[in-house]
Amino acid sequence: MTEQKNVYETRIRFKFYKKDEFKYLSHLDISRIMIRAIRRAGLEIKYSQGYNPKPKIGFSPPTPLGVESMAEYADVLLDGDIDDGAFKKKLNLELKPQMQISEVKKITEKTGNLMNTVSLVLYGFELYMCSSDNEDLLKRFHTGLKEDLITRSDFSHSIFDLNIIPLKGISDIILLKLLGYAKIFKEENNEIFKFNNFYEYFENWLKQYCLNIKDVKKEELFVMSGSVLKTPMEIV
Amino acid sequence: MDKIKRLDFTLLGKLLKDIEKPGRYINNEIGTKSKNPGTVKDFHDLILMALVFPDIYEVGMSNLGLQILYDIINKHECFSAERVFSPWIDFEEKLRRQKVKIFSLENRIFLDSFDLIGFTVQHELLYTNILNILDVGGISIRTRDRRNRFPLVCAGGPAIVNPQPLSRFMDFFVIGDGEEVVISILQRVKKYRDNKKEKQWFLKEISKLDGVYIPEFYKFFYYPDGRIEKIEPEKKVKKALIKDLNEFEIVQDPIIPNIKAVHDRFAVEIMRGCSRGCRFCQAGITYRPVRKREVGSLIRQSIAGLKKTGHDEISFLSLSSSDYKDIGHLLEKITGLSKPGRLSVSMPSMRLDSLNLKLFELIQSGRKTGLTFAPEAGSQRMRNIINKTIEEKEMLDCIKMAFSSGWEKIKLYFMIGLPYENDKDIDGITLLVEKIIMSAKERLSGKKLARLKINISINAFCPKPFTPFQWAAHDDTENLDRKFDFILKNVSKRYVNINWADSRKSRIECALARGNDRVGEVIEKAWKNGARFDNWTDFFKLSVWEEGFEKAGLDIGLFTRNFSEDEVLPWDIIDIGVSKEFLLKEYDRAKECLRNQDKI
Repeated sequence: MTEQKNVYETRIRFKFYKKDEFKYLSHLDISRIMIRAIRRAGLEIKYSQGYNPKPKIGFSPPTPLGVESMAEYADVLLDGDIDDGAFKKKLNLELKPQMQISEVKKITEKTGNLMNTVSLVLYGFELYMCSSDNEDLLKRFHTGLKEDLITRSDFSHSIFDLNIIPLKGISDIILLKLLGYAKIFKEENNEIFKFNNFYEYFENWLKQYCLNIKDVKKEELFVMSGSVLKTPMEIV
Repeated sequence: MDKIKRLDFTLLGKLLKDIEKPGRYINNEIGTKSKNPGTVKDFHDLILMALVFPDIYEVGMSNLGLQILYDIINKHECFSAERVFSPWIDFEEKLRRQKVKIFSLENRIFLDSFDLIGFTVQHELLYTNILNILDVGGISIRTRDRRNRFPLVCAGGPAIVNPQPLSRFMDFFVIGDGEEVVISILQRVKKYRDNKKEKQWFLKEISKLDGVYIPEFYKFFYYPDGRIEKIEPEKKVKKALIKDLNEFEIVQDPIIPNIKAVHDRFAVEIMRGCSRGCRFCQAGITYRPVRKREVGSLIRQSIAGLKKTGHDEISFLSLSSSDYKDIGHLLEKITGLSKPGRLSVSMPSMRLDSLNLKLFELIQSGRKTGLTFAPEAGSQRMRNIINKTIEEKEMLDCIKMAFSSGWEKIKLYFMIGLPYENDKDIDGITLLVEKIIMSAKERLSGKKLARLKINISINAFCPKPFTPFQWAAHDDTENLDRKFDFILKNVSKRYVNINWADSRKSRIECALARGNDRVGEVIEKAWKNGARFDNWTDFFKLSVWEEGFEKAGLDIGLFTRNFSEDEVLPWDIIDIGVSKEFLLKEYDRAKECLRNQDKI
């Protein structure tokens, strides 16, 4: 019986982004928009049983309001058999350019739900320097990052790694790309990484180096698979 | 016309930093239809209209009228309409601090760059928001201070049936159904702009249209005591009327808000107007005659709309949906569309009785969320006076049936301060509630009884123009508070929650609703003293309004008193389609406690 049932439903994991104006929409708004788009695309989401049936769709942990995200994920259970390519094409027609699906994969084996299994989030910060010719200040900033942020700050548990990638081609303002791995769930004391607190702290901390935050993006999510970090797409 | 000025996207980002619910200001919903400068070749040739809803986005986007007008205007190749809502307090502060004018959502065009600004006004407590939006838009609030030919400023909507309190701020008003007249007006705006005509020419041209009232064409003469002596000229403005609703398809691809609107659903108007004739009800008169949509096309268009929007809730709107004769057929067809529990259907204005309780169960498809009754008055005598044809027995029977089939939540609406009301009528409210509790005890088992919740909402009666009670006085604040305290003391708190709408707010609402053109000065003064969002209890400040009346040299009592039946009323200049004689006859019948069962 169960074997037969599987033919009529498709479990899909997909990745999408929300950028530009859509970064101002909350997690709940985004999920509502997505569910409606799926309905408009003529795809039928399976519903849970019971008194108050709910559509079977689950999203990755919320992105803070005002932050662009290139890595939103969702798992959905659909009625019928649908090809991943067709799913992406149909759904993107119903979505605005600010929010489009980038990757789709059928889930064939059992996987944990996105909300619980995601253990690391990668945020990318773009920084710019007000005074451009201070080489010395930059060096101090590099050292400061390691000493203050990774070892001494309240967020030292949360920040996994920091990478600095200088952005090419811009000379008058120095742009740095700072990649911070931020652990979001399952810290030692089970505390959740509070992005907004970190953002505020980081913004203030940057001031001593004459740096401002130009932009911040959620770039990728990672799941612990064995002892290796993998993206949610890699594990299905 | 001058260059169209728009807000830059990076600036928007700066403005939205630390703003509550920034999704209110970002546009880009599914279903927006304004023309885009990037895709339309002659964008500058278009007549641009700002459709302004003077409340926040979530409220405005739940309004069907706005969606209808937006759709009609944008279907026209020569016109483009864009939306503007009230900025919330934090965003207004930000705009003022950064010296940025308010802009439309779609193309972020600054308000003063539009050709026509049209406010849709749902109720009187939004008046200060209107002035505020003009001001944040860098536009002089008074007509006489606006020397330029553009933008033109107008208002329409349910509250505008008495335009006088806003007359000093508006170039013109639109009374009645907007569907046809808005296009006629825009065509004249186009002629006015393209042929560089005088403003007087334009106003004269549109004054020929049904539904258009131009304040500067009228002069009010006053007695020393503040009453109106006469209005010149006497010729009335007839409201604009759509004879056949079926000529306008329902909007099947409305804008779907990105953030959660107050009513997050696909809305369908099944009928306009109401034949019930409750004597306090303004909409019941001003939307006459009753016009129904044909059920076949209604079903087709509803199905198409659900498909196009992806909404999981559909709402059938009218003033009294259970009076729509094909309601059973309609509900059956729509609920049959999908598996149980997937689509919810709502009918906000359904009159519940034992007969249609079954219907109600059908639309709730098993989910028993709550039943709403609006007896409005506690005693049969009072219900006869207000012509609310609802029998106590019938209502109690229905409630009993509801309890038996599992409902545990009941909501009741009452009004106090009605004309000819006495203490027995107030006691009637507590007695009725007692009887409902008794029925519950009879029908509900212990565990369910413990969960029983009866929510009672009590509003102060506010006499409105164009109702049989338009002459009646607004009850004293003291009286209202005493009556409310009586109910509060005498109703069992065990099962009952009472919600009381502030009588002070209702008094100001009454003065604004029945105000003359001098009340405009009060609105201006109150706004200057910080009044806005007056409908929000947290923001409503009685002292600001009292001060406003005082500074304008007006007594609030002049507008809340008993009007005499032969006096000239500020809204006499409007022909709403129902004669003053009819209203007076109804008022007389109320006095005699007779129930008028004639239906039109």
